[in-house]
Amino acid sequence: MIVAEHLTKWYGPILAVEDLCFEIPAGEVVGFLGPNGAGKSTSIRMITGYLPPTAGRCTIDGIDVLTDSRAARQKIGYLPESTPLYTEMRVTEYLHFCGKLFGMSRNERNKRIDEVTAKCGLSHNKRRVIGQLSKGNKQRVGIAQALLHQPPVLILDEPTSGLDPQQTLAFRDLIAELRGQHTIMLSSHILPEIERAADRVIIIANGQIVAQGTPVELRDRASRGGTIVVETRATIKQVADLLQSIPSVAKVESYRVGDWTRATVTAKDDTDLRALVAEKLTSSAHTIRELHLNSPTLERYFVEAVAKKKAVQA
Amino acid sequence: MIITIAKRELAGLFFSPIAYVVLGAFAIGVSTFFLQGFEPGQPASMRGTFDAVVWLLVFLAPAISMRLISEELRSGTFERLMTSPVSDAQVVLGKWLGALIFFCVMLLPLVVHAIALEVVGSPEFGPIVTGLLGLVLVGALYLAIGVFASAWSQNQIIAFLVTVFIIAIPTFAAYFVSGQTTPDPATRRLVDYISVNQQYADFAKGLIDIRNFVYFATGTALFLFLSVVLVQSRRWR
Repeated sequence: MIVAEHLTKWYGPILAVEDLCFEIPAGEVVGFLGPNGAGKSTSIRMITGYLPPTAGRCTIDGIDVLTDSRAARQKIGYLPESTPLYTEMRVTEYLHFCGKLFGMSRNERNKRIDEVTAKCGLSHNKRRVIGQLSKGNKQRVGIAQALLHQPPVLILDEPTSGLDPQQTLAFRDLIAELRGQHTIMLSSHILPEIERAADRVIIIANGQIVAQGTPVELRDRASRGGTIVVETRATIKQVADLLQSIPSVAKVESYRVGDWTRATVTAKDDTDLRALVAEKLTSSAHTIRELHLNSPTLERYFVEAVAKKKAVQA
Repeated sequence: MIITIAKRELAGLFFSPIAYVVLGAFAIGVSTFFLQGFEPGQPASMRGTFDAVVWLLVFLAPAISMRLISEELRSGTFERLMTSPVSDAQVVLGKWLGALIFFCVMLLPLVVHAIALEVVGSPEFGPIVTGLLGLVLVGALYLAIGVFASAWSQNQIIAFLVTVFIIAIPTFAAYFVSGQTTPDPATRRLVDYISVNQQYADFAKGLIDIRNFVYFATGTALFLFLSVVLVQSRRWR
């Protein structure tokens, strides 16, 4: 449904997005993840036809967004970053305006406005002026507007930013409800906000795709490596001697917490040290009261992976 | 589609405080000009008022147009608008049309003045009608310049100043050349031709000359065209 081929964007001398390629089949919900400034919004603007790519092309349902822009735009429901809305308009007024832009008839608009406001939980605020709504409700207006003309493709840029946890949950339910009816692309810089909703996550950093897969796969990959934290009865000296004898341990740092030693152990490679450390300590009859993996957040893990790769290349 | 955008623009204008400042300033301004000539013994005509009003428009028309695209660029709604299936030309024309309708509403006090003249005297309506028509044409041109300037920047103040500056060039060129002791006749003709006030003068007198009409129509079309190009340029910048 959405096909990006070698999308590249230069802003003057700054390379914002580099050779972005991906394909989103119809009906899939894809999370687009990356730290702030990774090029998410730039990519999305190229996909929606707002910004032309410096190189590469993007098609929506086979329609090129640049050469046949208006036909492609008709197929997209789009919520831009930070939810821009005409704050002086009332909710229904605004939705009527959006519907007209998409060539919907009055009857169609009336019917759809009732449906989308109900779906987005706006039924009680239909007559209110947008500027007076809370951030969460404004976000709902933005989503309602994107859904209005029943587009096959929904592109939501940071739809959960600024929502409280409860609203984020409601949003997740909404996406679950829409699943199957639309091909959905969501962006976020926080994984947990979208991982339940998304079938697949594409992670970008510095304008490049650094990883993609199901949220479970990515979590699994990211859980390798990292540091582990262990608390045991052994003394600092004993902990250091025992753990340094494990071949894949790079570094052990410990300090005392009451009668216990709390050690942070860093691995040399991707080895999961938890089992090795536990065996080593218990075989010497040292009690363990805590042992856990300090995995970096998913985005951070992949961003660092890119940085490492670059360093190796250089 | 153009009408849809124009209507929204018009509603947006009426919700902005600047609209009321402009409406108020215009009403007070024109009434002052009008009352200067509104006494016994004076001719029952609005020619003096019309000539003065054109000057007022140099500042008031840019105040109407400055927010048209700038405000949307600043708030980000422009992105939503431009990702809807509407063409760049439809957006530009819609915005210009919305502003022009607002401009016509602003001219209403002049109609009140005409009625006041009718009550106390017997004015000739021909020149009043052509005068008003001319003002609408001047407004159309100034607002087209304003749309163009507001597509430059997301800052309304800059849009305002650029518009006033562009309008000032043809308006003041005539005075600059008049100041020279021996003006070159060709230059003289040129500055007279590009001067909005000169072009408007005939309308205020009650004349509809096709040349004046062509001047305003081409000027308006030129700036609307440039606005479309400017809006499109985001695609290749």
